[in-house]
Amino acid sequence: MDVSRISGVKGAPLPKPPAIQRFFDSVPVSVAIYVIVVGLIVYGSFTGAQNMGYNWQWYRIPQYLYSFTDDGFQWGEIMIGLVATLQLSVTAFALATALGLLVALLRLSGLIVGSAVAVGFLELIRNIPLLVLLYLFYYVLGPIFGFDRYTASILTLAVFHAALISEILRAGINAVPRGQWEAAKSIGMTQFQTYRYIVLPQSVRFMLPPMTGEVVHLIKSSAIVSVIAVAELTTIGRNIISDTYMSFEIWFTVAAVYMAVTLILSAGVSYLERRYSVDQ
Amino acid sequence: MKFSRRMLGLALAATAATGLALPASAQSTTQGLSSESVIETIKQDGVIRIGLSLFVPWSMRDKNGDLIGFELDVGRQLAEDMGVEVEFVPTAWDGIIPALVSGNFDVIISGMSVTAQRNLTINFTDPYAYSGLAILANKSMTEGMSLEDFNKPEITFAARRGATPAAVIAENFPNATLLLFDEDGASTQEVLNGNAHASMAAQPTPNREAGRNPETLSVPFENLYDPRGEAFGVRKGDPDAMNYFNNWIAQQWRSGWLEERHNYWFATEEWADQVAQ
Amino acid sequence: MQNFVKKLKWPDYLILALLVGFFGYIWYSIEGTLNYKWRWELIPGYIVGWHSGREEWFANLLLQGLAATVRISIYASILALILGTILGVARCSANLTVRMLARTYLEFLRNIPPVVVVFIFFFFLSQQLIEALDLERWARGIARQEDIGVWEFFFGEMRRFPSLVSGVIVLALFESAFVGEIVRAGIQSIPRGQREAARSIGMSRVQELRYIVLPQAMKRVVPPLANQFITLIKDSSIISLISVQELTYKTVELVASSRMIFEAWITTAAFYFLVCFTLSRVFARLEKRGKAGER
Repeated sequence: MDVSRISGVKGAPLPKPPAIQRFFDSVPVSVAIYVIVVGLIVYGSFTGAQNMGYNWQWYRIPQYLYSFTDDGFQWGEIMIGLVATLQLSVTAFALATALGLLVALLRLSGLIVGSAVAVGFLELIRNIPLLVLLYLFYYVLGPIFGFDRYTASILTLAVFHAALISEILRAGINAVPRGQWEAAKSIGMTQFQTYRYIVLPQSVRFMLPPMTGEVVHLIKSSAIVSVIAVAELTTIGRNIISDTYMSFEIWFTVAAVYMAVTLILSAGVSYLERRYSVDQ
Repeated sequence: MKFSRRMLGLALAATAATGLALPASAQSTTQGLSSESVIETIKQDGVIRIGLSLFVPWSMRDKNGDLIGFELDVGRQLAEDMGVEVEFVPTAWDGIIPALVSGNFDVIISGMSVTAQRNLTINFTDPYAYSGLAILANKSMTEGMSLEDFNKPEITFAARRGATPAAVIAENFPNATLLLFDEDGASTQEVLNGNAHASMAAQPTPNREAGRNPETLSVPFENLYDPRGEAFGVRKGDPDAMNYFNNWIAQQWRSGWLEERHNYWFATEEWADQVAQ
Repeated sequence: MQNFVKKLKWPDYLILALLVGFFGYIWYSIEGTLNYKWRWELIPGYIVGWHSGREEWFANLLLQGLAATVRISIYASILALILGTILGVARCSANLTVRMLARTYLEFLRNIPPVVVVFIFFFFLSQQLIEALDLERWARGIARQEDIGVWEFFFGEMRRFPSLVSGVIVLALFESAFVGEIVRAGIQSIPRGQREAARSIGMSRVQELRYIVLPQAMKRVVPPLANQFITLIKDSSIISLISVQELTYKTVELVASSRMIFEAWITTAAFYFLVCFTLSRVFARLEKRGKAGER
């Protein structure tokens, strides 16, 4: 942007930075330095761990990802754990959305007891850590209602994220212009009909971006259920570590798998957002 | 001028260092091993750090929030005999072996059973306690039954899936029906409810459960299945520590102290009022 | 009262009925099927107890854990604030390398579950740091001294100091990613005109940052940072998995020692709730007052 073009003021142009600075500021060089720095960090931690007496055994990792047996190609334990994590997350997310919708509607309803219950639920869940909530569900409510660990995990994740989702839903519903509500009322629709045909369909557009963020959040939260030994990715990782003591390799592999999943999901979501973005 | 002076200084320092290093490298291997032993660090620091994980009655917190239990008695006696302070490092059970290997503490005294798999990563001393699995049975349902009577298809055992008792029951009572559960307390609950005739657990749990529910539960036989020893866990490559701890444990067996302490904590409930049991 | 009852509609009654049914079922199964003996009277003793040996009042397990959680949260917040500010500034830097490095670190921490991050940082970093600085001997030296009241107030039992440091470092590193994002948003919300004006009067980038951008940015991000502090207190429960003696870990110990499963976990949940809820109310009120004064 040239100042002289805007205001018509003429003057000597700003001096260009010296050539060497321009060299280092250029994109390829910056990227090269970045790669070098990251490489140094990785190399440094590698040798540092080795000097501590840690025995790197990367060659043992692939068998946990996949293997070729007599029956043909088989997924390894880590991949099976990943599938279990995804199953757990999808179930919990569905339940969380249903519960979140219920809570959001209660809050918006204007019912005295209803909104009190909703607000009480929200404040309670939002101020207790997830781990403590999991222990509560598994050790306290588990014996009472007869939950097994899988059910307790799903319920914990669902309840925890329902509190977050209900806020997203409520904000989405509130974002629908008031005019829509008034128009619906003026043609004689009941509240229920307004929600079902006018408001909720339009609010989906506002809710979609934060909801997808919430899916990623839930996949990350699901790792906590490893403390009660539910079969999923982190649990399997910890089990392999306790058998083989390859702490670093396994933890990095598990972290890489989680990162791959969340990055793919986020990329997919951005793509969808761009494809279906609506002009206001 | 400055440069050459600096070079001279460096050269002198290097020669001096090598000169001093030469006799040090002649240090024998045995001296090296001893100086690296954990016994040496314990003596130098004046403290023995013991890693443990809370498990009744091995170790637990009493009403004052202090640590009491069989392990605590063992650890305090050990420290007293070594003439050092004792520090207990409560650690989560599934991280206790990695914590030992990383050096968070000097020895594991936590009712750890000697298993071949654990032995691949750490070394074990001689056992300082023995335990095994015992049968916990529903009193009314198993009145007057002998050991062989338990190995019949009408008899139901309850066990936790994947745990040692499940494998032991399957091996010793192949004709009986085995119900598998995911939860720890579930198998005991089934026997209490009368949905199963019996289950197995590591002593002293069966004795304590039977003590808590004397009308419903009993421990009908003294037989111990899958007998195991519990030992101290130490890092690999430390012969001095192994020798010291083994001799200490042997002496405590000879004097009867270990047996007396074990009985106090595992066979009686005299300590129960100190803890909120 | 009559006005209140008039405002209740039929769904309210339905909800009330459901709630009564729900809690009634819980009560019935606890008393009846499970045969659980409530021992609430023991809980206060586990918060503040009369030590039978030493004949004095002392903070017992739960209060020790709560104090540890508060200490760890405060120290980790301070550290996370420093690290996060550096990260946030780095994310807005003109240098592409610095931006990319910061972005990598942030993405790494934001896409991996907290549990995994805690374990990785614990094994990779804190162990090494503690050994390198020989913190254990130093802490033991202090613990052996006579008058350590002040040390114990700030750091708890000095013999467990290294594990406190582990917890603080791990928590701070994890939270610094979120603080970094907040700071970045704050910096980017400062109008470009400010920065151009600064450059036009000849300020260097550092001066521009120090005198113009950061003061305004930090003032803007105080509300999200306050919320992040509350989140940090909740996230601190995860470090119980690396055996740091904070509230969740102490509760696990309490349950293992006394089998008061229900009472212990309900009490601990209540502690966390009290702390976080109170803080969020206080922050909300302060924010309101701050906004009122802004005009």
